Amino acid sequence: MKILYAFFVCLFLVSFTNAQERFLTKKGMISFFSETPIENIEAQNNQVLSIVDASSGKMAIAILMKSFMFKKALMQEHFNENYVESDKYPKATFKGDIIDFDNITTSEITLAIKGNLTIHGKTKEITIEAVTKKTDEVIEMTGNFFINLSDFDVKIPSVVKNNISEKIKVSFRLYHKTYKK
Amino acid sequence: MKKISIYILIIGLIGVFIGYKMYNKPHINVAEKPVDIALTASILLADFSSNETSANTKYLDKIIAVKGMVTTVEFDGEKTAISLQTKDDFGSVVCYLTKEEFKKSTEIKEGQEVVLKGICTGFLMDVILVKCIIMNSK
Repeated sequence: MKILYAFFVCLFLVSFTNAQERFLTKKGMISFFSETPIENIEAQNNQVLSIVDASSGKMAIAILMKSFMFKKALMQEHFNENYVESDKYPKATFKGDIIDFDNITTSEITLAIKGNLTIHGKTKEITIEAVTKKTDEVIEMTGNFFINLSDFDVKIPSVVKNNISEKIKVSFRLYHKTYKK
Repeated sequence: MKKISIYILIIGLIGVFIGYKMYNKPHINVAEKPVDIALTASILLADFSSNETSANTKYLDKIIAVKGMVTTVEFDGEKTAISLQTKDDFGSVVCYLTKEEFKKSTEIKEGQEVVLKGICTGFLMDVILVKCIIMNSK
């Protein structure tokens, strides 16, 4: 009986700590920016799903390609239909580990995150830096990094080669909250 | 000879004009577009959670009118996100409203039944609709 009791106490504690350790946002922001002398292209996605597991320091992000909003409708159309082929590859994902996650504090520090980024069906290992901050209810992460289009097999037709940069700057702002439910 | 070059010039100008028009093509105006599919939030989510690939081909980029009960209304500046209740405990249908709808969205209350019209971009934990407008609320 005593063992059973101890077992239930453990179970209770486990479920309790689990509830405290998942941080999630459904409304993260990721934007990208391509800069060339001819034109600048920018798109923003405000429906990013991102989860941080505070017990293991792992994080996972999922993005719908069609949620990227461009200034010009034609750019958005080309992006979805020709470049990233959103019908075939509707999502981009990132799965990784936050290195030295235990160092996270209530004041801002820069941490590295190493993981696999999948866009357009191609996966590449990347390490990015993020300014992070954690309180009891919130984990905040912001930063930016560069990706090469060729790494993800995104082909740009030669006609518009000068309009689109090979190096794309990606910025993110993720405001995770403790996950209830 | 002169005639031909004038024709070429005119064709060229038309080409430039069309090109310019296409380059500045406006975004889809959800309010003016007819509804492609009308359904309830529960059915929409069920379709995505049972078979995401077929649901993607069925719903993505379509103008969808979704009916459901409001569970939460969240504001981020002038951007509003309305979550609709489904029979599934974990997922819902989240509709991101256009800025123009901000005023109307402040009147929406939790527990109210609404019909929202927007473009479906896919499924993460929830089915996501963007550029939504409020069609009907009671």
